[in-house]
Amino acid sequence: MQAQFEDYEDLTGLRFPWNSFPANKQEEKRCVIPVSCLYQPLRPKTTPVVVQIPPSACRNCRAILSPCCGVDPNTGTWACPFCNTRNQLPPSEPAGQLPYAVSPEAQDIEYVVPPPETQNPPIFMYVVDTCFGDDDEFKALTDSILVSLSMLPPDALVGFITFGRHVNVYEVGIQDFQSFYCFNGARKYTQAEISWNLELTGSNASRLGVTRFVQQHAICEFNLTALVESLQRDSFPTEKYHRRTLATGCAVNVAVSLLSQTFPKTGARILLFSGGPCTQGPGKIVGTPLKEPLRSHHDIEHDSKVEKQYKESSQFYQKLSQTAAGNGHSIDIFIGAYDQVGLSEMEALADKTGGVIVQSDSFSSAIFKRSLQKFLSPDEATGMISFGLNATMQVKVTRNLRIRGAIGHLTSLNNKNSSVTDKKPIGVSGTDSWKLGAVWSHSAYSFFFEIAENTPQADFSAIQFITTYQHPDGTRRIHVTTTQRPTAPAGSADLITNFDQEVAAVVAAREAVWKSVADVTNQPADAVRSLDRVLIDLCQHFASYRTNDATSFSLPPTLNLFPQFMYHLRRSPFVQVFNSSPDETSYYRHCFLAEDSTNSLIMIQPTLTSYELDKEPEPVVLDSTSLKPERILLLDTFFHILIYHGAVVAEWKRLGYQDQSDYAYFKEFLEKPRLEAADILVDRFPLPRFIDTEEGGSQARFLMSRLSPSTSYRNAESMMNLATSGVGDGESGAVIMTDDVSLQTFMEYVKKAVVKPE
Amino acid sequence: NGGVYGQPAGGAYNQPAGGAYNQGGAYNQPAAGAYGQPAQQSAYPQGAGVGAGAAYGQPAATPLNQLYSTDLLKELPPPIADLQFPPPPIILPPATTTTASDDSNSDFNYFRSTLNVVPSTSGLLKKCKLPFAIVVRPYVSLHDTDDPVPVVSDCVIARCRRCRAYINPFIHFTENGRRWRCNFCGLLNDVPSAFDFNQVTSAQMNRLERNELNHGVVEFVAPPEYMVRPPQPIVYVFVLDVCKFSIQNGLLATVTRTILETLDRIPNNTGRARVAFLAVDSGISYFAIPRDDEKDKETQMMIVSDTEETLIPSPEGILVNLKESRQNVEKLLGSLPDYFAHSLSTDSALGPALKSAHSLISHIGGKIEVFTSTLPNVGIGKLTVRDENSVSGKPKEASALLTPNSSFYKSFAVECNKSQVTVDMFLTGSSYQDVATLSNLPRFTAGQTHFYPAWSANSVEDITKLSKEVSNHLSMDIGLEAVLRVRGSNGLRMHSFFGNFFNRSSDLCSFPTFPRDQSYVIEVSIEDYISKPTIYFQAAVLHTTCFGERRIRVMTLALPTSKDLKDIYASADQLAIVNYFTHKAIEKALSSSLNDARDYLLKSVVDILTVYKKEIVPGNLGSSSPLQICTNLRMLPLLLQALSKNIAFRVGRVPSDHRAAALNKLGSLPLPYLARAIYPTVYSLHTMTDDCGLPYDGEDDPYDIPPKKHGEIVLPEANNASCMNLARYGLYLINNSSELFLYVGGDAVPQLVEDVFGVQSLGEVKIGKTDLPELENEFNTRVRNIISKVREAVDTIEYLNLYVVVGPASNENATNTALSRDVIPLRIWCMSDMVEDRATSNLSYKEYLGQLREKISS
Ligand SMILES: [Zn+2]
Ligand SMILES: [Zn+2]
Repeated sequence: MQAQFEDYEDLTGLRFPWNSFPANKQEEKRCVIPVSCLYQPLRPKTTPVVVQIPPSACRNCRAILSPCCGVDPNTGTWACPFCNTRNQLPPSEPAGQLPYAVSPEAQDIEYVVPPPETQNPPIFMYVVDTCFGDDDEFKALTDSILVSLSMLPPDALVGFITFGRHVNVYEVGIQDFQSFYCFNGARKYTQAEISWNLELTGSNASRLGVTRFVQQHAICEFNLTALVESLQRDSFPTEKYHRRTLATGCAVNVAVSLLSQTFPKTGARILLFSGGPCTQGPGKIVGTPLKEPLRSHHDIEHDSKVEKQYKESSQFYQKLSQTAAGNGHSIDIFIGAYDQVGLSEMEALADKTGGVIVQSDSFSSAIFKRSLQKFLSPDEATGMISFGLNATMQVKVTRNLRIRGAIGHLTSLNNKNSSVTDKKPIGVSGTDSWKLGAVWSHSAYSFFFEIAENTPQADFSAIQFITTYQHPDGTRRIHVTTTQRPTAPAGSADLITNFDQEVAAVVAAREAVWKSVADVTNQPADAVRSLDRVLIDLCQHFASYRTNDATSFSLPPTLNLFPQFMYHLRRSPFVQVFNSSPDETSYYRHCFLAEDSTNSLIMIQPTLTSYELDKEPEPVVLDSTSLKPERILLLDTFFHILIYHGAVVAEWKRLGYQDQSDYAYFKEFLEKPRLEAADILVDRFPLPRFIDTEEGGSQARFLMSRLSPSTSYRNAESMMNLATSGVGDGESGAVIMTDDVSLQTFMEYVKKAVVKPE
Repeated sequence: NGGVYGQPAGGAYNQPAGGAYNQGGAYNQPAAGAYGQPAQQSAYPQGAGVGAGAAYGQPAATPLNQLYSTDLLKELPPPIADLQFPPPPIILPPATTTTASDDSNSDFNYFRSTLNVVPSTSGLLKKCKLPFAIVVRPYVSLHDTDDPVPVVSDCVIARCRRCRAYINPFIHFTENGRRWRCNFCGLLNDVPSAFDFNQVTSAQMNRLERNELNHGVVEFVAPPEYMVRPPQPIVYVFVLDVCKFSIQNGLLATVTRTILETLDRIPNNTGRARVAFLAVDSGISYFAIPRDDEKDKETQMMIVSDTEETLIPSPEGILVNLKESRQNVEKLLGSLPDYFAHSLSTDSALGPALKSAHSLISHIGGKIEVFTSTLPNVGIGKLTVRDENSVSGKPKEASALLTPNSSFYKSFAVECNKSQVTVDMFLTGSSYQDVATLSNLPRFTAGQTHFYPAWSANSVEDITKLSKEVSNHLSMDIGLEAVLRVRGSNGLRMHSFFGNFFNRSSDLCSFPTFPRDQSYVIEVSIEDYISKPTIYFQAAVLHTTCFGERRIRVMTLALPTSKDLKDIYASADQLAIVNYFTHKAIEKALSSSLNDARDYLLKSVVDILTVYKKEIVPGNLGSSSPLQICTNLRMLPLLLQALSKNIAFRVGRVPSDHRAAALNKLGSLPLPYLARAIYPTVYSLHTMTDDCGLPYDGEDDPYDIPPKKHGEIVLPEANNASCMNLARYGLYLINNSSELFLYVGGDAVPQLVEDVFGVQSLGEVKIGKTDLPELENEFNTRVRNIISKVREAVDTIEYLNLYVVVGPASNENATNTALSRDVIPLRIWCMSDMVEDRATSNLSYKEYLGQLREKISS
C-alpha cells in the first residue's frame, strides 16, 4: 500500500493520510486525523508535463481544465467539477479531439505563460549585520557574501543594506563613488518615510530612481564587490558590560519597505545576515545591558514584561512579513551567532514569506558557508537558480468538501468563498488562496478539508491545486495538480486500508507544531496531550481489542508504525522546549513546517543505521538496545548527522589500526558511515551539523536523547509513575507523562488507555 | 589746484601744553578756520604724551587738550581729511608709567576710548551727552606676521591678587621692588621671584626691560593653569549647500575648488588641523574620508535624509586630520561637484545639518563654515519667506523682517558657544535667504555672516571675490577657545557689550574662536566718583593660538580724568563715538524700528550740539546763530547723518536681506572700515597729483596721515562724497568698504576713455562689475595701481568688486533708448554713496545742518 502512495506522490507531489475520503460527517469524526494532504507542488517528476499554452479556465470559478472534467467533444464543452459550470473548449483544440489537459498525464501539469508587466528578474536584497566583536568573524561573513554575489545570475537585481547602530542603504547603482543612505536604527519608519528618505518619492525625488539601490548584477558587480571588500565593521563604541547597539528590526523594515515601494508583485529575496540580537528600535529583542539576559522559554511564559516585549517585537516582524509576502518578497535569515539573535520573534519573516533560515554558531562555520552556497547553487538540470519566486497557490474543491486551512510557509490571501469553512479552522484559514513566496522543489504544504454538511454523498471528491510562480527562466508558470479521491463507503474498511500512516504522522505533527508556533503560550504539555488524544482515539476507532484487555490489542498493518511516530514526535524538539532556547525551538519548527514527507519523517523519527564489521549496514531501531560496543551508528535527525563509535571500535581507532596496512578493511569500515553521511549532506539544506563521537563522548548526548531508553534503569521507576498517575480522566483525559519513558512503556500505556471502557 | 585741501589756511593752531612735547607732534587738529596744516605736521605718534611731562620734571598737573570750536555751517563742504586723523592725544599726568616707554599706552588701533578724558562723575558723563565706551580690536591683521606684538614668553604672569589685573606699564614698584601696586585697585602685590630672571640666558635681567612693563599691547604665553583642557586642534566643518540653486549658480564648484586651493593656507604648522565636509539638500550627506595610508579604503558618501534628529552615520572617518587624509580630501573636493551635478532638490535642511556639524565637533570645538544659496526650509530651524511688500519701508519693517524668524538660531548659537563652536555664513542666494535670522548664529558664536547677493559663477568677478575672501577667511590665524575680559579701574563698570560673541557673564565675553577681522565696543558706566587723575582699562583675550599655544593678549589703556566738561569735549574721539552710536542704532532698529534708530541718531547729535551750545560756548549767541561743536568732533554730525543714510538705516524700501546684511556688517567692522562704510572715500583720479598711483619714492614717514612707506603706492587725497564734486568729464574711484565704483563722467574726453578702458568711446565701456584692462599707458597703470592698493589689506578678508559706472553726459536725453538698461540703476546705486547729497527723503548734509540749527535754537 505504502509504495502505491509513494508512486502517486512521485507523480503529483501529493500524499493523503486518508486516500479514501470518509463518506459523511460521522465517518469523518471517526477518522480523528483530518481529511488532509501534504502537497509538494514542485516535486521533481521523472516525466514532467510542461506545456507552452495558456490553461483553459472555468469561466465561473477559474478552475483549470483537468482530467477530472467531463468533456463533451460533441458540443465542444467541458463541465467544471468544482462549480458544475459548463464551459466551451478552447477554440484552438482541433474539433472532436480531446484537449491534452484532460488526458491522465495532465493530472500534474505546468503551463508556461508570459510574465506580467510587474515581473522582473529575481531580486536579491542583502541586509548585512556589521556589528561584530572581531574582524575575523566579519571577514568570514563578507567573504561568504562575496562568494554568494559571484553566484548570482547576471540579470538578477541586487541591493545592499548594512546595519549596526544605524541602517545603511548603499547606492550600488552609482558608479563613480561609494555612497549610502543612513537611517536611524532607533526609529520605526513608515514606508512613505523610507521612500522619501531614499529620495524615491516626493519633492526631492532623484531622477536616477531606484536603480541607485537595486541594480542589475552584471552592471553593479564591480562596485558591489569593491564595496563588500572594503566594508568595515560597525565602529560605534560599545559601553562596557553592554551588547552592541544593533538595529536589525529597522534594517528589515527598510529593506521590506524599499522593495514594496519599488518592486511590488515581483519575486525578491531579502537575505538577512544576523550576528546578534536586535538591541534597539523596532523589533528589539533585548536591551544592551548584559545584566538583562536574553529571554528563555520560561521568561516568555512567566515574566509579563518579557512577554510584552516578546509579543510587541513578534508583531512588528509579523507585520513586516505580511507586507513582504503580499508583494511576493521572501525573507531569508542567515544566523551566525553562538547565542540567540531573536529568531523566535523574527521567524514570521521567513515562515510567512517562504524564506529559509540557516542557523549556525558562526559565519566562519561550514554550516553557514556551505548552506549559503547551496542556497544559490544552480539547479543541475537547468543551470538556473533552483527556486521559484512570488508563488501563490489556490485550492479548488468539489462541493462535498470545504477548505479548513493550510499549514506551511504561506500567508493568507484572504480569498474567502463558499468552498471555505470557518468552523474548526486549521492553520492559515478562511481562504482558498495563499501566498507562498519562494518555493523550492522540496517545499511542502499541508491542506486541511472537511466533509461538507448537508451535501449529498459523492462517489469521489476532486481537489485542484493551482500554483502560480515566477520561474527562474523569467517566465510565469502555472502548475496545476488535480486529484480525485474515492469515497469510502460508510463503515467499510476502505478508510483504514487506504490510510497512509507516514503522512498522517506528518500532518498530525504539523497541526501540533502549528498550534505551538501560533500561540507561544501553548505549553508542550498541551501539545503532548493532544497528540496522545489523537493516537488513542485513532486506535480506539481502528485497532482491534477487547475492552479492558490490553493483551488483546492489535493494530492493522496500515497503523502499526503510527504509535512509534507519535512516541518520537512527542519527544522531539518540535514539541518539547526543554533544553532548547526559544530561537532553537523556532528554528526546528521552521524547518519542520517547510519540508516534504521524507524529510519530515526523518525529523519525527530520526534514522539510525548500524555498521558492523562483516555485515551490510542496516537500519536499527531508535532504541538504546541498538548501542553495541562493536558497532558504528549513524544517526540522521535532519539537523544533525552523528557518527557514534562503540567502545570497541573507538578503542581500535585510538590504537590506530586504520593506519596499518593489514587493517585496510578496518579503515574502510570506518569510512563507510562517513561516506553515507557525505551522501546525505549533498542534498540537505540547510547543511546539518556533523558530529563525530564515541561511546562516553560528550557529544554522544545528541544520540542518547533520541533513543528510546528501553534499557534505562529509570524504566522501572517510570512504570511505577504510570501505574499510579498515568491514566487520565474526563475531558482533559489523556496522558501526562512527566518522565522520559521507553517506547515499550509508552505502548503499554497507550494500549491500556485504548482498551479502557468509554 | 592739485592740492587736496581747498580750504583757506588760517592762523597757526594753538598748541596745547605750549610745545612741552618733545615728540613734535602736538595735537594739531585745526581750529575753526585754521584748517590747512599739512597733514604731515599733524601726525601724532602712538602713545604721545605719555610720560612726556615727567621727562621734563613738571610737577603740576599736565594741561589736557585744548578746546577749539568750529561752526559747522561755515565748514562746507566738511573737511573730510579729518576722517584720517588719529584721536585726540591721551595726555597723562607725569610719572604715570613704570618705564616711561613710549609704547606704554595701547595703540588706538587696538584699544581706544570715545573719551580720551574721562569725566570724574557719572553726573558729568550724563551731562555731557557724549557716550563713554571703549573700542576693542585685539588684532589688527589677519596674520601674526603682519602685526607682531611683544610676547612675554617665560610664563611668568604677574596678576593682582584682588582684581586679577595683569601687570602692565602703569603699575608701580614699592619696597625696593619687592612689591607692586596695582593701578586698577591699589592693592600691593608680591613681585614673582622669577620676574628678574631671564630663562633663556639663565641670568638676572632688568625687570624694567620686560615687555609687559613697556608695551600697552602685549601677549603672555600662559602656563598650564590657564588651560581647561589641552589645546584643541584647529577644526573646520564645511557645510556645503548642494541644492539645485547652489549647483546652478556654481557655488559648490567654486567653494570646493577654493577650499582645495586653500588647504595649504589653513594654519596647520602643527599638522593637527581637522576637517569634515557635509553636503546639505533635503538631507545631509556626510563623507567618510580614509587616511591616505589606508589604501584599500575609499571615501564614502553617507546620506541621511531623516533630519528629525541628529544622526551621525559613522563614529569615525568624518572628521579627519587634514594632513593624514590630504590626498583623499583633495580627491573628494575635486569630485564633490560631480556627485551633485544632477541635484534637483530645492529643499535645504540647513538647521539639522548645523546640528549635525555641531555634534561632530562639540567635544573639541571648532568652526562650522556654511556655504549656501538656499533658504533653509526643512527640519529644525526651517524658515519661510517673509512678506516684505506689506511692511517694507513702514514702521513694522524692522520687527517683521529684521528680527529672527526662528528661535533656533539664537538658542543653537548659545549651544555652539558652550561647546566652543563658531559658525560662519557665506550666503550666495539670488532669492530671499533670511540673512536677518541666519546672521544670529555667527553673531553669538563670534563668527561672521558674509552676504553675496545673486552671486554667480558666470561672473569671473564673483568667483574672484568669493574665492579670495573664503581663502583669506580660512587662512586667518584665528584664536581658539577664547574669552575676552575687560577690566576697568575702581568706579567703572562695563555694562553693555557690542559685537559678535556671547556675553557669558557680567564682564566675560566668550569666543569659541577669535577672528581677526572684527572689532568690539563696550559701554562703560561710572559708578563712583573718580578721584584719581588717571583711570585704566585692561582688555585680556585668553586664547589658544592655532598652533596650540595658550596665550593671553593684554591691552592696557590709561586715560586722564577731569571734572571739566570742556576737557571731556576737547578729547572726545569722534570715530569711536560713531562706532558706539552705530551699535546703539542697530540695537534700536532691531528692538524698536528703523525710524527710531534714525531718530535716535538725530537726537544724539542734537543733544550734543545743545550741550555744547549751552554749557561750553554759552556766550556765543549772535544773530548768525552758528552751529558750533569742538573741532575734534566736527565730523560727528556728518557721520551720524551719513549713517542714517546707510542701506542699514536708509528710509525707503530696501530688500530685507540687504538691510540685515548691512546691519550685521556695521555691527562688526573695525573702525577704519566702518568709517568708510558710513562715509565712502572718493578719489578724483583725473586730477590726482603726479605721484599718485606710483610707488612712493621718499623716505618712510610713519607720522604722516596716512603713514607713508617707501615703495607703496601713493593714493590721492580723498574728496567729499557729493555729486557736486563729480565733474562730468572726470574719473573717480569710490570705496565704501563693500564695493569700489569707478565713476567716469559722461563727458569724459576720448583720450581718458581710451587710456583707462582701451576703447574709443564711452559707449563701448563695459559697465557694471568688471575689472580694468591692462593697457600700455601710464595713466591706466596708475589707476590700476590705485585700485589694487585700495583692495589690498592685511586686516580684512574682503576683496572689493569694481563696478564701472558711466555718469550722465551733458547732452544725454533721459529717454535715450540707446542707454543700456543697466546704466541707470548702477548710477543710482553709485550715487547713494554720495552721502552729503540729498536723496529721496534724506536731507543733504547742508539741509541737515539747517535742521539741526533749528532744533537747537528752539
Ligand atoms: Zn468552475
Ligand atoms: Zn588690582
